[in-house]
Amino acid sequence: MKTDSEILDQNIQQALAGELSATERAALKQLLAVDPAAMDRYLEFCEMEAWLSAPAAENENVVIEMPTAEMSPTHSSSILKWAGLAAAIAMGLGVAFWIGKKEAPSNSPQIAETEPQSPIKKQPTASKPNTEKVIPIYAQSLKHPAGKGKLQGGVPDGELVEKIPETISFNRHVRGILSENCFHCHGPDANKRKAELRLDEREAAVDSLSPGNSATSELVARLFSDDADELMPPPESNRHLTQGQREILKRWIEQGAKYEGHWAYEPPARTSNIELPTPNIRRENAIDFFVKLRLDEEALGFSEEADRRTLIRRLSLDLIGLPPTVAELDAFLTDESADAYEKVVDRLMASPHYGERMVLPWLDAARYADSNGFQGDGDRHQYIWRDWVVNAMNSNMPFDQFTVEQIAGDLFPNPTQDQLIATGFNRNHVINGEGGAIAEEQRNNTVFDRVDTTATTFLGLTLACAQCHDHKYDALSQVDYYRFFAYFNQLPESGKVDRRLGRVMVGNPAIDIATDEQLVHRKALDKTISASKKAIRDNQTAIDVEVTKWWKSLPKDKVPEKLKPVIGREFATFDGYNQGYAREGYLRSSSNPEWKKWQRDLDQSTKGRDALMKQMKVVMVMGELEGDKKRKTHLFLRGDYESHGEEVQPGVPEALHNLPSDAPANRMALAKWLVSEENPLTSRVIVNRYWQHYFGIGLVKTSEDFGVQGEQPSHPELLDWLAVEFRESGWNVKHMHKLIVMSRTYRQSSNVPSEMLDRDPENRLLSRATRFRLPSMLLRDQALQLSGLLKDEVGGAPVYPYQPEGLWHEFSYEKFKYTPDHGDKLYRRSLYTFWRRTIGPPNIFDAANRQVCMVKPSRTNTPLHALTTLNDPTYVEAARVWAEKMAKTGDAEKGIRDAFLKATGREILDNELAILKRTLTKARDNFGSNEAAAKELLTVGEMKADGAIDAAELASFAQVAQLILNLDEVLNRE
Amino acid sequence: MNDSPHFLKNRRDFIKSSIPASAALASLLNGDSTQAAAEDKLLSQAQHFAPKAKRIILLMQGGAPSHVDLLDWKPGLYDMYGQNLPDSVRNGQRLTTMTANQKELPMLPAIKKFESYGKCGRMMSPLLRHTGEIADDICVINSMHTEAINHAPGVTFQLTGAQIPGRPSLGAWLSYGLGSSSENLPAFVVMTSRDRENSCGQLFFDYYWGSGFIPSKHQGVQFRGTGDPVMYLSNPKGVSRDMRRSVLDDLKAMNEIKHEEVGDPEIQTRISQYEMAFRMQMSVPELTDITTEPQHILDMYGPDVERKGSFARNCLIARRLAERGTRCIQLMHAGWDQHNNLPTQLEIQCRDTDQPSAALVRDLKQRGMLEDTLVIWGGEFGRTPFGQGDIKNVKKHGRDHHGRCFSIWMAGAGVKPGIQYGKTDDHAFNVAENPVHVHDFQATILHLLGIDHEKLTYRFQGRRFRLTDVHGHVVKDILA
Repeated sequence: MKTDSEILDQNIQQALAGELSATERAALKQLLAVDPAAMDRYLEFCEMEAWLSAPAAENENVVIEMPTAEMSPTHSSSILKWAGLAAAIAMGLGVAFWIGKKEAPSNSPQIAETEPQSPIKKQPTASKPNTEKVIPIYAQSLKHPAGKGKLQGGVPDGELVEKIPETISFNRHVRGILSENCFHCHGPDANKRKAELRLDEREAAVDSLSPGNSATSELVARLFSDDADELMPPPESNRHLTQGQREILKRWIEQGAKYEGHWAYEPPARTSNIELPTPNIRRENAIDFFVKLRLDEEALGFSEEADRRTLIRRLSLDLIGLPPTVAELDAFLTDESADAYEKVVDRLMASPHYGERMVLPWLDAARYADSNGFQGDGDRHQYIWRDWVVNAMNSNMPFDQFTVEQIAGDLFPNPTQDQLIATGFNRNHVINGEGGAIAEEQRNNTVFDRVDTTATTFLGLTLACAQCHDHKYDALSQVDYYRFFAYFNQLPESGKVDRRLGRVMVGNPAIDIATDEQLVHRKALDKTISASKKAIRDNQTAIDVEVTKWWKSLPKDKVPEKLKPVIGREFATFDGYNQGYAREGYLRSSSNPEWKKWQRDLDQSTKGRDALMKQMKVVMVMGELEGDKKRKTHLFLRGDYESHGEEVQPGVPEALHNLPSDAPANRMALAKWLVSEENPLTSRVIVNRYWQHYFGIGLVKTSEDFGVQGEQPSHPELLDWLAVEFRESGWNVKHMHKLIVMSRTYRQSSNVPSEMLDRDPENRLLSRATRFRLPSMLLRDQALQLSGLLKDEVGGAPVYPYQPEGLWHEFSYEKFKYTPDHGDKLYRRSLYTFWRRTIGPPNIFDAANRQVCMVKPSRTNTPLHALTTLNDPTYVEAARVWAEKMAKTGDAEKGIRDAFLKATGREILDNELAILKRTLTKARDNFGSNEAAAKELLTVGEMKADGAIDAAELASFAQVAQLILNLDEVLNRE
Repeated sequence: MNDSPHFLKNRRDFIKSSIPASAALASLLNGDSTQAAAEDKLLSQAQHFAPKAKRIILLMQGGAPSHVDLLDWKPGLYDMYGQNLPDSVRNGQRLTTMTANQKELPMLPAIKKFESYGKCGRMMSPLLRHTGEIADDICVINSMHTEAINHAPGVTFQLTGAQIPGRPSLGAWLSYGLGSSSENLPAFVVMTSRDRENSCGQLFFDYYWGSGFIPSKHQGVQFRGTGDPVMYLSNPKGVSRDMRRSVLDDLKAMNEIKHEEVGDPEIQTRISQYEMAFRMQMSVPELTDITTEPQHILDMYGPDVERKGSFARNCLIARRLAERGTRCIQLMHAGWDQHNNLPTQLEIQCRDTDQPSAALVRDLKQRGMLEDTLVIWGGEFGRTPFGQGDIKNVKKHGRDHHGRCFSIWMAGAGVKPGIQYGKTDDHAFNVAENPVHVHDFQATILHLLGIDHEKLTYRFQGRRFRLTDVHGHVVKDILA
């Protein structure tokens, strides 16, 4: 064990090497401020480093001892750093405890009792230990997983770091520890269970727990053992309990080792009986009530409300995905009525663009794409399903109906075309058209995908984990998995491409989509076709006499190509094909006007029908095998579709509520079960994702996992209240969105006070609004909107905006050629950009891959993003077209002011204006002496530059516009 | 304490540090170093043991090269020519739909008799004579096996550990685990090429270098053979580097004002990413410009090196990337799917890829870089030892997909040179000795890079995911 001073040394070294996180640095700073000895040590290190990094000549007589034995230099330094890292963890935890007590009466930092290694322990501690109510805080101090000493990223283990509470709650304190560290071998999966010990159920665990008496508890003995062979979890498992976690388990046992059901499997309930305040009268609503409870606990308050300029841009981007126009901004700023804010909300929620914005996360969940993926990668027409979703959202279709139609719309007694289209949700999967692919294997992969997508999207369950074995953590058995699977196993599908219409390749079941007009038209054409055919058939004998004559009279050198094989034969001896062809040929030139008309009608109608069919679309939908065609579903051993286990019947996971006894054994039962009153998950999972939409992170951070390995909600009562409200409102989606955006919580400023940056970097306490970069699709839309290029019509077939030349070509062995659109289609919203599943749109970054279900957005910050928004022709063209407006004002300063206002919603500050004017001046210097360059820039993109404006002037303003488009403030939603 | 070895080691560490103390002090006290940069540094030390390899170059031979014809010598097959594959050997193994209905499965020996290469006497096809010249530098594994039977799932399995797309790829794991060692270039770079004849129908899917559920900044950056080497790298027409610099300076000034006001550390990260983008605009064209290479180096890689987007050119650029600190370089070459054109296409494929692959190893070696660079050559599976189509037809026949065994080679950092590992049965159909599953292969690569494959995890959907799923053993026998 290292001494405190060694640990301190290491931490200082890490700080000097820039290896500490902000929070760790802050902790060290605190320590240095209060502990003069530590400060001395720190300065010593600094001097040492300066001395060592000085030119070598000055250090000639420094003898550096080489590392011992066979260790390579890399090895030794990595070991060293490794040890330092462990100390950093200890330190980080210490910090977390310390901050947790910050609001306590004492003025000095406290001792972190559970972390004896913490160097913070060295501080003088004037005050008495804090015995007040312990407040959990988010241990975000070590934002990166590596800070935990292992390369274990994603959601960090055990988000909540707590001092050992007086009363232990199984769900809040114990389950996470057991689940993460024990269930892997002592959990629900019977096949992997070791020593026949099961810890996830009290009855099975009770002997080893010895509730009420930790002294005789086998579990406690194992947890605290010094013997590596006895210690649990075993060291080789790479799992390790902190001292605090051990103490929690010990206290839990002392208090009787009570178990509780997993919170997310219990039905949500409103815990506080509060009336929903009327938003335009009260400044706060129910959401704020719960948020405030938590803030009070932390002795924090709400941030001030954001100003109106920020609010309208935030609302507009969140609800319709476009920034407000200047007119909309002005209207809001001058509206003095009490419900001015609400009016903006209502206006935006009624906009046809509302659905275009809200559909985006749904498309990610539904792995929507415009092509099949895998080899072949044929196109598809599923955009008709996408339009269905946009319409459903715009018309505020209740979420239960929205669910049932997408899961089982085909199973209504007489489904409408729309209800069939809705089921496209589960037909957005990949199709493998690879030569040699085994169709049955592919079909089963498709069913696996439906199970995964449905369970994740609606239930937040990682059911896929039970495909090969019983779930390691959740009470989901492999049988549960295949019972769920059975619902999706009855499609009349082959696992391969069944229909080809040129580039379009789809698998059955699929339906042809037509407008009413098209259907009427087709019916008329069909009628003419069959009438003409019948007339010809009825008169065939007479006609054929004339055909024979015509054939004989036909000069043999003028015989149509297709009849050449039968030259010299009698008409009667032709085969059926040649006879038909000859007959048609004769009729077309017949002297009998009636006969001629029949053939002409037939020709014209057939041609018309072909053309019509080309305009109609084919959409993949769900379908159900009936009767003896139904497939049997077996459990697949180890998930292998060729290794059948026991046969199973359709059903829902046993750990959740039952189906009604009279439920049919098909998807309709499942769909209704998902949105039934007893379902504990769907409403929570969905409102959590709504929350994520507005705050970047859900109340449950693991929005894809509500199982026992998922994170506990930050505000459990709020989540439940919202879930119940959602259901009781009649699954009223717009109601929920409005509730959130009307809340005071949402309306806060997103500015981050520096102490909160350390204390709550991810804003889980909600003491401010969250600031985050816009999804890349919206960045492009915004650029188009600001420049005035946007064509904002809603819906329709995908479009092909600019893309670097040869991209598809290169990927696809020259099979696909990308032909960009021209004109208006270049300026449609990003939602409509054709999404080739194998090569996503290159200028849409940080997006879900649309291969499997994704419900959590990714937000990264890379140089490639910068290159895109600086150099993609879409953005360059937008900048130079926007520049025309700036130049036309005739007053450079006004041009800049207007553009800035339009992009940010606020007036430019003087110092900012000075910078942008400088940009313009420098650009004018640059292009003024190089008009050719200016003219070249103006050819980027298809839109013709305004010839009336000087090219150099336009190019110069375009630089200012580009800068504005790349401002952090513009890239972010604040 | 000053005398303890521990203390001295600390000091050694300091020498390596290039941060002047005053800057470090300022950084600590003002808290102005960016969080992201600090995280990257934390990460790069998180290796579990001493890495032998600092970087890896994967020469992925898509379409699946025939082990029977190239690296797995079975002279006995000549006596079996035309005989049906015994059921006892096939043992119920599934076949693709391309040969499942073929009445006969006639054994087909190697197109050309193997020859002995190197001091180690490695038997290899003369079609790979350049690789033969480096036989003493490489380790040939004959006992690879996979569960996949078709290309896309096979490549996905090899590179991401699962057949279904959506998991992070090897390079993404490395970028995540080890970070970048270059300020000016991405940690993970991908380049694609294909046979000139377009005989092989393999597509390149971006999930072959995707980041799955780990943050997308770790996904591979594709360097393209046409247009800008990195998408959107060039300034717009008419915008000079100076003009752009000037705009970026002002953008930075504006963003700093914003940062003062709102305090969001992401703003600082953004500023630094725009700066890196600007640096990449210089470093990437410089990197891909091979005109500075002397003629004798170009000659090593063969005439194809002159052709942009060729495998040979990509091999040379791979070396240049390795020199500049890129962690994972993944070359995706498609061209080996010889179902019905083995007699003609195999030789052409070898001609296009053999020389540059060997040249890369030799070039790294002469620069002293092979010691810490791992080079791997191989496909997603092998090909059947029996023929597909009419094997009597001199030009038109081939071999089908075969996952039960296949051969790859590895060279460089930490791998025993000049050895051969694992054996297949006499029919080159099943692994007979020392099987190396795809997950073992992946575990071994991570090991060479200093990572315990069981510890490099990412928590998603309630589970700690790894590249090797829940499998994989390091193949210790091939470690030097």
